[in-house]
Amino acid sequence: MRKILLTICAFFTFFSISNANEVNIFSARHYDSDIQLYEKFTKKTGIKVNVVSGKDKALQKRITEEGKDCIADLYITADAGRLGAFQAKGMFQRGASSKAVKAAVPKNFRTAYWTGIAKRARIIYYSPERINASDLQGMTYEGLADPKWKGKVVIRKSNNVYNQSLVASLIANNGKKATAEWAKGVVANMARDSKGNDRAQILAVAAGEADLAVANTYYLALMLSGKKGAEQQAAAKKVKPFFPNQDGRGTHMNISGGGILKYAPNKANAIKLLEFLLTKEAQEHIVNNTFEYPMIEGVEPHKLVVQMGLGFKQDLKTKVSSYGKKQADALEVMLAAKWK
Amino acid sequence: MINFKKINIWYFSTFFISAIVAIPILTVFSSFFETTSNYSLILKDTFLYEYIFNSIVLLSGVLFVTFFIGVGCAYVVSFYKFPGVNFFKWALILSFAVPAYIYAYSLTAFFENYGTAFSIFKFFFGEGDYNSFIPKFDGMLGAIISISFSLFGYVYVLSRASFHYQSQNLIELGKNLGFSKKKSFFKIILPSARPAIVAGLSLVAMETLSDFGSVSFFGVSTLTTGIYNAWTSFDDLTLANRLSFFLLIFILCLFILENFSRKKAQYHSPSKDGFKSRSLIQLTGYKALFVFTFCFLIFFISFLFPILQMLYWTVIFPKHLFDLNIFDLLKNTVLLVFLSCLVLIFLAFVSNYGSRVSKSKFLEILTTFSVSGYAIPGVILAVAFISFISWFDNNVVSLLFIKTIKPIFIGSILGLVFVYFIRFYSLACNGIKSGYLKINYSIDESSYLLGYSKFKTFTNIHLPYLKNSVFLIGILIAIEIIKELPITLIMRPFNFETFATTAYIFASQDLLEAAAAPSLFLIAISSAFILITSRYILKD
Repeated sequence: MRKILLTICAFFTFFSISNANEVNIFSARHYDSDIQLYEKFTKKTGIKVNVVSGKDKALQKRITEEGKDCIADLYITADAGRLGAFQAKGMFQRGASSKAVKAAVPKNFRTAYWTGIAKRARIIYYSPERINASDLQGMTYEGLADPKWKGKVVIRKSNNVYNQSLVASLIANNGKKATAEWAKGVVANMARDSKGNDRAQILAVAAGEADLAVANTYYLALMLSGKKGAEQQAAAKKVKPFFPNQDGRGTHMNISGGGILKYAPNKANAIKLLEFLLTKEAQEHIVNNTFEYPMIEGVEPHKLVVQMGLGFKQDLKTKVSSYGKKQADALEVMLAAKWK
Repeated sequence: MINFKKINIWYFSTFFISAIVAIPILTVFSSFFETTSNYSLILKDTFLYEYIFNSIVLLSGVLFVTFFIGVGCAYVVSFYKFPGVNFFKWALILSFAVPAYIYAYSLTAFFENYGTAFSIFKFFFGEGDYNSFIPKFDGMLGAIISISFSLFGYVYVLSRASFHYQSQNLIELGKNLGFSKKKSFFKIILPSARPAIVAGLSLVAMETLSDFGSVSFFGVSTLTTGIYNAWTSFDDLTLANRLSFFLLIFILCLFILENFSRKKAQYHSPSKDGFKSRSLIQLTGYKALFVFTFCFLIFFISFLFPILQMLYWTVIFPKHLFDLNIFDLLKNTVLLVFLSCLVLIFLAFVSNYGSRVSKSKFLEILTTFSVSGYAIPGVILAVAFISFISWFDNNVVSLLFIKTIKPIFIGSILGLVFVYFIRFYSLACNGIKSGYLKINYSIDESSYLLGYSKFKTFTNIHLPYLKNSVFLIGILIAIEIIKELPITLIMRPFNFETFATTAYIFASQDLLEAAAAPSLFLIAISSAFILITSRYILKD
């Protein structure tokens, strides 16, 4: 019995010993196109990329509980708030912003612990059939609470992290009290109880259930691309994107990003991978597959994203690194407003 | 309660197995000694009662639907002869192959704005505004439908088995009393199948209350959503654990209530000389048509509908099928199924045999608690396991001068199989137990008298008797593991995907179209397993 146990232990230890020339990723951003990108990286550098994809908190739990024995090097996710919150727990180490990363990524989208890889904006979509562009003149996120939009707004649930980051940015700019009132106003304006994902909000506007929807930029491009079938492609053409807060701080931006974990056994390789993800080649691969905005200068987004408009003002005033601190408050004000 | 004379290797191993299964309950319970965030207050002020109310609505809805279609189908295929009855007998079990989350994907994709239903209308009637009158099966309704149609199989299989063995005497008694068919059904057939129906419904209840995949997909705010919010948004795992514990208590109460209401009523008439094969009633004309339509509709909605939706996508977007690394996915799935079956069946045997030879009441109670793995949401179960390993490693293992055991149990195949074991132990254990109940103790005693050792009694006598039960349980475990998602997602090693995780990854990118191909494979493999065993399921 003892021999068997020892053999089993040896077997599993053997498999868990990390091979020097590799990098281990825990990813809550699971695009299959990312896997192709990692393969490119391996071809180029000879460094093997191992991936576990899963839900944010579950991966974080594994990292936290495994502690010093965690062999993951990089944690990648699609929300700045989550990166910030995980940093606050002390789970990252400095080093993500290497020289090359600093040169490539604007200051607002990185910290010493993690860096953005791609950008997305959370914007308003409207029905040009029922709403004149002039009605939206000067429209802001704050304006979504205006009673004139009563019964016209759709937005997904309060437990969605993109909403939490958006509301966190409102709290950072307007304070918690004002944002609590704002949340009540938005709930009063909803065309229906919150349900479905971002795409479902855009479809609701196309189908006439609502006039305004809040959703991330890449969802419309995804539909326009035909990857969701001809029907949705046609439906997407019935809505138009609108970039809010252009007269003020600019449109709410969020990132996909990654940070180097505290006990990363392959730190140098992790930095190499982050730097690779910020090269022109990798950025082009990302924007053409996920319809996000590139993180670096000199790369053109996918043409469907270009059509949505590129000249808009991004909110560079509100640091994306502040979202994490305010997300719990954001959910609290939304729940208090009975935002489902 | 504990008789120390009885403590031997069998007693010890049974105790040990039950203790492992109890790990997550203990971990979840330990949350009551930790502090929580202010989310508990916010929750109480806002949505707590709504969450509880929604959980009750969901549970009642699912129980009603599964009872109605499960018992309904079982009744007609057991007592009547109509065109297609032999086909429906096994075809209705195929719904087991479709997990609730895949059903949810199909339902949404078909009925959503500009979804498949819209395309069908457009194809036949040209452009038009169809969105407004295509019904939307989302929210609570969508969740009830998805969960019910993927779970009604439990009620169907168990009540069918019970109807099948219902003694002819009882039915004849009804006839002699001049009961109509309707009265016989409600006064005799249904009450005497009650234990089986309730057993089926309680499995449904447990899976419904601990379901997370489909309720979160439909955005229904149930207690599991509260559990998940507490953890993911407020970072309050303690509260999440406490809520899970309440959920567990609630489910245990349901069991106790049912047991209590049944009191000591005896349901089984000794079947030795009471069992005559029943004569089936031949249906003709509109009655046959009605029953056929009913069964076909259930078969269509539960099985054909999700498959057709997935096939439709795979045909439109064949690229996703070709991109799939089928060989690896198959290899991983088979590996997990094989290892888990081996471990579960082996340990279920040890524990049952241990209970049997030590005849201890204490062990029996302990084994009863093994059901808990089934009643805690899979995510929480896996997280509880990870927390436990971490605690054990930091507080116990580190004292033994062993570096660490974490990599052995977290993010490894072994760890994954371990959590599967906790999750599905009640399935394996109760399955073997029901097989054992059919072997009289006097057989063991005769074997001892013949000079057989306990071990030899086990290998030469019990094992051949239980061959069919073991086979059946193996297949049931296989189907569950092929479909399992939350535990696999958290516990799996690097670069390790199954059909279920692949489908999930595509679905979470909002590419249900790409999730179709792995989902189809998942359903096909489970269906194959079901077809192999349908003979046994229908008999036993």
